[in-house]
Amino acid sequence: MRTLLKLLSAASLVAALGAIPQIVQAGGVLRLDEVAVGELDPAKASDYADSILMFNVYDTLVIPQQGAPGHDPHLAASWEGEGTSFTFTLRDDVTFQSGNPLTADDVVFSLDRMQTIGQGLSYLFVSVEGAEAVDANTVRFTLSQPYAPFVSSLVRLPIVDKQLVMANLGEGEGEMGDWGQAFLSGNGAGTGAYRVVSHNPQEETVMEKNAGYFLPIAESAPDTVRLRYGLEAATVRTLIAQGEHDISSQWVPPEVLGALSGGGAQLLTEGGVTGFYMKLNTTKPPLDDVHCRLALAKAFDYEGGVKIIAVTDEVSQGTLSTGAIPAAMLGANPREKAQTRDLDAARQHLADCKYSPEDFVLEVTWIGEVPLEERFALLMQANFAEIGITSEIRKIPWALFAEQVSNAETTPNVSQVYVTAVTGDTDTLLYGMYHSSAAGTWQSPEHLNDAEVDRLLDAGRTGATPEARQEAYSALNDRLIAISPTIYAHDSQSVFAASNRVRVPALSDPAMAFGLDGFGFTFRLMEMTE
Amino acid sequence: MRRAVAILTSNPLSMLGLILIGIILFCAVFADFIAPFPEHRGAVVDFANFNQPPNWPHLMGTDLVGRDLFSRVIYAYRISLILGAVVLAIAVPIGVTVGLIAGYFGRYADYVLMRVTDVFLSIPPLVLAMSIMGVLEPTLINGMIAVTAMWWPWYARLVYNMTRAEKEEGYVLAAEVIGASPLHVMFREILPNCFPSIITKMTLDLGFIILIASSLSFLGLGVQPPTPDLGSMVADGAKYLPDSWWLTIFPSLAILVAVFGFNLIGDAMRELFGADQ
Amino acid sequence: MTPTILVFARRVGTSCIVLLGVSMLIFAVARVIPGDPARIALGPSATHEAVDKLRAELRLDEPITVQYGHFLSDLAQGDLGISLYTNRPVVVDIAQFLPATLELIFVAGAMMILIGLPLGIASARYRGSWVDNSIRLVALLGVSAPSFVWAVILMLLFAYFLPLFPIAGRISDTYAIEQVTGFLTIDTLIAGNLGAFGNAAWHIILPAFALALSGIGQTARLTRANMVETYDKPFIEMARSYGVPDRRIAGRYAFKPSLIPSLTIIGLDFAAMLGNAFLVEAVFAWPGLSRYGVSVILRKDLDAIVGTVLIISATFLIMNLIVDVLVTFINPRIRYSRGRT
Repeated sequence: MRTLLKLLSAASLVAALGAIPQIVQAGGVLRLDEVAVGELDPAKASDYADSILMFNVYDTLVIPQQGAPGHDPHLAASWEGEGTSFTFTLRDDVTFQSGNPLTADDVVFSLDRMQTIGQGLSYLFVSVEGAEAVDANTVRFTLSQPYAPFVSSLVRLPIVDKQLVMANLGEGEGEMGDWGQAFLSGNGAGTGAYRVVSHNPQEETVMEKNAGYFLPIAESAPDTVRLRYGLEAATVRTLIAQGEHDISSQWVPPEVLGALSGGGAQLLTEGGVTGFYMKLNTTKPPLDDVHCRLALAKAFDYEGGVKIIAVTDEVSQGTLSTGAIPAAMLGANPREKAQTRDLDAARQHLADCKYSPEDFVLEVTWIGEVPLEERFALLMQANFAEIGITSEIRKIPWALFAEQVSNAETTPNVSQVYVTAVTGDTDTLLYGMYHSSAAGTWQSPEHLNDAEVDRLLDAGRTGATPEARQEAYSALNDRLIAISPTIYAHDSQSVFAASNRVRVPALSDPAMAFGLDGFGFTFRLMEMTE
Repeated sequence: MRRAVAILTSNPLSMLGLILIGIILFCAVFADFIAPFPEHRGAVVDFANFNQPPNWPHLMGTDLVGRDLFSRVIYAYRISLILGAVVLAIAVPIGVTVGLIAGYFGRYADYVLMRVTDVFLSIPPLVLAMSIMGVLEPTLINGMIAVTAMWWPWYARLVYNMTRAEKEEGYVLAAEVIGASPLHVMFREILPNCFPSIITKMTLDLGFIILIASSLSFLGLGVQPPTPDLGSMVADGAKYLPDSWWLTIFPSLAILVAVFGFNLIGDAMRELFGADQ
Repeated sequence: MTPTILVFARRVGTSCIVLLGVSMLIFAVARVIPGDPARIALGPSATHEAVDKLRAELRLDEPITVQYGHFLSDLAQGDLGISLYTNRPVVVDIAQFLPATLELIFVAGAMMILIGLPLGIASARYRGSWVDNSIRLVALLGVSAPSFVWAVILMLLFAYFLPLFPIAGRISDTYAIEQVTGFLTIDTLIAGNLGAFGNAAWHIILPAFALALSGIGQTARLTRANMVETYDKPFIEMARSYGVPDRRIAGRYAFKPSLIPSLTIIGLDFAAMLGNAFLVEAVFAWPGLSRYGVSVILRKDLDAIVGTVLIISATFLIMNLIVDVLVTFINPRIRYSRGRT
């Protein structure tokens, strides 16, 4: 009975939180979708849906430049520093959605909170020793060692309203309680251009324009945004065709995107910082022999793979890869040096390999949540069979995969992963994948342990100038192609189908694009056309 | 027996059932000869022919990697039927034994066994199987375990109720008087009288097991690709509605036809043996 | 205490014991998960400290019996733990998602009775005629496919090819309705917004019908079978020979005694919809508890799995109890003979 009472009181709580008193205007509404579940707590944001929420409800000290590499000040008015110390001067005209003014204390609090909770992308800040408020408008970050991508990693440090969170601490150990986790999982506490009206992590998050935003927002930007979760591809396809939906998620299969495009929808794209990788476990036979790995890399049908993901004749969910680094990023090979299939070379490498193909069966896996990967698994199986290697295909749910790769023994021979540079910097793409200290995460099922790779990664991380870093990453790219811990399948590009009610320059005009995944969904820069 | 055949074949509906199931069984057994592309049951790609609507030689079209849907449906039938047979082969003996013991001995055996049965019966069937599949690795064997776990209690219930009724009948008392062991009474005297009901239920259940197993795989908790499975074919194909309708509709109809066929025969058997369900 | 109340009290007691058994069963099942739930929950990039902290919070290092003890004492305080999937208390999640599922089931249940019973009666009354045969065929088809097949077929026919119904969701975006009961059809009426009510009702028809179809078939089949049996009884012959009109015989003399067995099965079917709702919600993007259940099972979210299954089983038992009470009140003969079981 008490359970029942508790349930009822919880129900009324939800009712109170979810109350939406006013009726919204249909004209200014932008409707888009993402996979469930939408994580509103910015310290836990990791996937695409979370990032969309974070970039709109919260702001960061810097933001990526439009159409160019580098960063512009945003909440910060300016910054200076290099090596291990950076000082940021904050704008003095910014207020949170609650009305509280933004101060250096909020920045310090946001970093502490992120580091203490230790989830999401907090690993980006492991080399940050701490931040201190020099005065109300100045904050100084101290690093334990030089970290070249530090400024770019700040696009992942959303600034949280300290006063508001402190007033809403939940139960937990110590004076900070739960660090406001319960509160922030259902409420926004940022300076962002959009405020959260209601949030149901499984159904939708409704946001509306923040009238008190510190930058001007165009009239034509959507007044209300409905971010829906977990819609089926078929549902999205029909809703867009019926004018009931505006932007699809990138997870819609290429055939469905193609059908929508054929029906008059526009295709939006975002990419450049994501690669699609076939990760080879370099610790287990037969792929501990570099020749066996090279045999697979040469046998893989790169062009066939890109055909699978073609949406229309012009638009594809990916382009041929040129190595470990996607073509638009620092250290990448030029486009004409694309990876190619070479069956003769593959057979030669296989002959040089100390294992004979009769003696092993490769385990090729795909992630259950990404149905498209099944096709790549089947493609690989067919490709490898051509040089006499048999393989079996296994589907693994994501949760189990992340668990299995923590141990080299249980890590499959071949696994498929999309890896994104979450800050746009080459370091965040490669360090987590290939540094020996980072082995055994979902990004690094290779379990690679190569001194040369480690050295070049560190050189890139600490490099003083862009040129020095460029050189290090170029050398690293060559090394990674030579020892092939991975089949670099293609450079991935996110494709979204959208109605013609909305214009999104950041996702349709390369000169307006941001080199950061998810940032194209900055709603204040979108325009509703009706 | 002859009467049974006569009744089954005289009614047009049960005749239809016999024909449907006959075709399905035949296809499942001789799949290697009937399927136009037997190798398409497994991991094969033919990107030149992918996502095609029904045509010749692909009667039901092709899937997203170019495999012949018709061949895959036929092999899926084979797997569904094997799964159904194995589940019944395990669930029926367990359920029957539990039901007999609880019904015949009564008292504590009755209370404990039937409460355990109730526990299983009070979790909605699909939910129980889902929970089990969710924590185990999704393989065919585990699928069988999950479905078996939800199936035996129904037989326990059925046999329990019948045993309690039969136990008071004269022939049972007679056997007891001449000193037959409880085992003999339960399995040699009472059980044969439950056979018609059990067999009727098994016929109906073969259909329902296909139905439940496909539901599990529809939710992503069943047999895993590339093994052909009707439920996961529907689930995968549903993403491509309405453009690639054949991916969904044919496996859906395949489920419908199989369950319908078993139900038609089960219904006829129920009439044949008397309505004592 | 009258016998009725006594019987009722015993049934409630048994249900509680069964529910306790369910909690043990599902708790045990949820604890054999391969892998580390804390690591799975926090995601691959979480730090070791965070994982260890969560393991301690979830008491994963203690023996399972101790864990179960904690679970029971938390449960007594209405605490089902934290969902690792939504990062919220499981109780809050369930409270938010359960009403949508119940609404779907109630509407489907109503369809089952309002369509299934009349079909069964008509079938029995015109036994052997083409009416009977076609109803039997349709009813059998209804029970011969899982709900998701019906959901997909209905969706294809009536939302895609003939766009009569919406394909997803509970209500159109243009309506903003304050949540009171969580049942949108009721909340819209409370808000006095008839347009919104119509819209919510329009959204629920297709998923509810897909969910109800097998129940409709089952109800029609059973009602027919029972009425046919009753029709063969002498008192019907007698009524006929007295010249009582057919309509009256069907509606009154034959239907009433047939109602009780039908009702029991309807109750069971009603409860079984709790399971089938998983399938329909997945197709129609219905934001209910079942969809939540599938997500948490796939993500191995322990507390949420246990909580969801427990609530569904409790609902199942309560529904069965209600049916039992109804049947007892309708039929005095059962009222007394039930005392034995």
